[in-house]
Amino acid sequence: MQASRARLFKEYKEVQREKTADPDIQLVCDDSNIFKWNALVKGPSETPYEGGIFQLAFSVPEQYPLQPPQVRFLTKIFHPNVHFKTGEICLDILKNAWSPAWTLQSVCRAIIALMAHPEPDSPLNCDSGNLLRSGDIRGFQSMARMYTKLAAMPKKS
Amino acid sequence: MQNQDGLLADAEVEGISSTQASNVDDWENFRDDAIMQQQSSIWAEEAEKIPFVGDKAREPLSSLAAEYQSGSPILLEKIKLLTEEFAAIRRTRGDGNCFFRSFMFSYLERILESQDQEEVHRITGNVENCRRTLQSLGYADFTFEDFFALFLEQLESVLQGNKESISHDELIQRSRDQSVSDYSEWHITHVSTYVTWMRKEDVKHMKFLCAAFLSASPYNVSCLVVMFFRFVTSGEIRKRSEFFEPFILGLTNATVEQFCKSSVEPMGEESDHVHITALSDALGVPIRVVYLDRSSCDAGGVSVNHHDFIPNPPSGGDLPLAAATATAAGGSGGSETIKPFITLLYRPGHYDILYPK
Repeated sequence: MQASRARLFKEYKEVQREKTADPDIQLVCDDSNIFKWNALVKGPSETPYEGGIFQLAFSVPEQYPLQPPQVRFLTKIFHPNVHFKTGEICLDILKNAWSPAWTLQSVCRAIIALMAHPEPDSPLNCDSGNLLRSGDIRGFQSMARMYTKLAAMPKKS
Repeated sequence: MQNQDGLLADAEVEGISSTQASNVDDWENFRDDAIMQQQSSIWAEEAEKIPFVGDKAREPLSSLAAEYQSGSPILLEKIKLLTEEFAAIRRTRGDGNCFFRSFMFSYLERILESQDQEEVHRITGNVENCRRTLQSLGYADFTFEDFFALFLEQLESVLQGNKESISHDELIQRSRDQSVSDYSEWHITHVSTYVTWMRKEDVKHMKFLCAAFLSASPYNVSCLVVMFFRFVTSGEIRKRSEFFEPFILGLTNATVEQFCKSSVEPMGEESDHVHITALSDALGVPIRVVYLDRSSCDAGGVSVNHHDFIPNPPSGGDLPLAAATATAAGGSGGSETIKPFITLLYRPGHYDILYPK
């Protein structure tokens, strides 16, 4: 408990210090609970997610950093490795490949990388995975693009 | 053996998931946290069976022979040979961290027994170098500094071990504080049993060491120190990536960086000669690995192979890039002058600690 709190506090200070270092990631800690974080990440360019802003919710376990944080998309996203309903993310570093060398910030970077490079062979969203696996790149891109427009972009009034 | 553990673990996974299956109506309820929870409950169960480091101190080697009673005659022959040279074995849990855990216990135990201030001073210097290595590789200090501090603390406490005798209560208290787990109740029972055993053995300065490393909770000092070694190993491999690259390519298809991220830094990833070479070099601690497998060499009869990992230069510290570290000692001369004080028994997939006679 103590160790995880101390570590998160260090990460918090680092995030404050490096606020402008990575313009694609905005990581914020919950005002009242250091175990809850939120992040806004920019959809990577040259992907169907370009132009979208995606919100991630972090829930950090007490055993952090020996155990990975739980992260899910709050913003709806059409991606083979993200559960369409729950936003759960299938990413090795959030499971068995986790190590304390990762930080909340670098997890965000890994998620952006996953957005740019989907792994259709281990899908959480089978519809999305099947489109890619059957080679229907265009179909996948237009679906992903549509959901980016619907869910991750500011609504035109 | 790790194989058996694997089977047991599998059996439990089936058992647990089948009982849970009735509660789980659809796939969507299988969330990550549920999987993690299941994993830690398996750990807790496993923990009751085998501690991180065996609680039977210096189990006689005959127990090893008993294990292979109906096994390969080559193995039995080799165990007989081992019995001539080694007095005992201390088992470690087959959780993928067994090499690091064996090394940790073996090294700290050695310091505890020898009270070798000079060695502590030497390794502290090397730990400083490792810290600088990680910094120069771009690791944020806060990701590794706690693990480094903890290892140095352990060194301190084993040095003081024979001056300050720890009371029973303090011992339990310490072990509780040091654990970051939910299993504290079970934990206390375990430590208490252990203290009873220790009195019988009357090895007073072993108390601290054992309390810190035998406990069954998944996140205690022992795990944090394993993580320290993983950082050190990863840093060394990346610092000398040109040297390690060919060895890594022989193991996997990964780049040096990928290898460190996926096979060195995560807990539970098993160790290979690459890890051992890197750790031995980084800390400047020679390690002997004795191989117990079914290989038999020439017709001249069975012999037990061993391999000495000798850091170069032997005093540790910064190493030249070309430093070849792995030197077979068995009769080949040259490295005979250095006798590693850490001896591990390797059976395919698992490391335990061996105690020479």
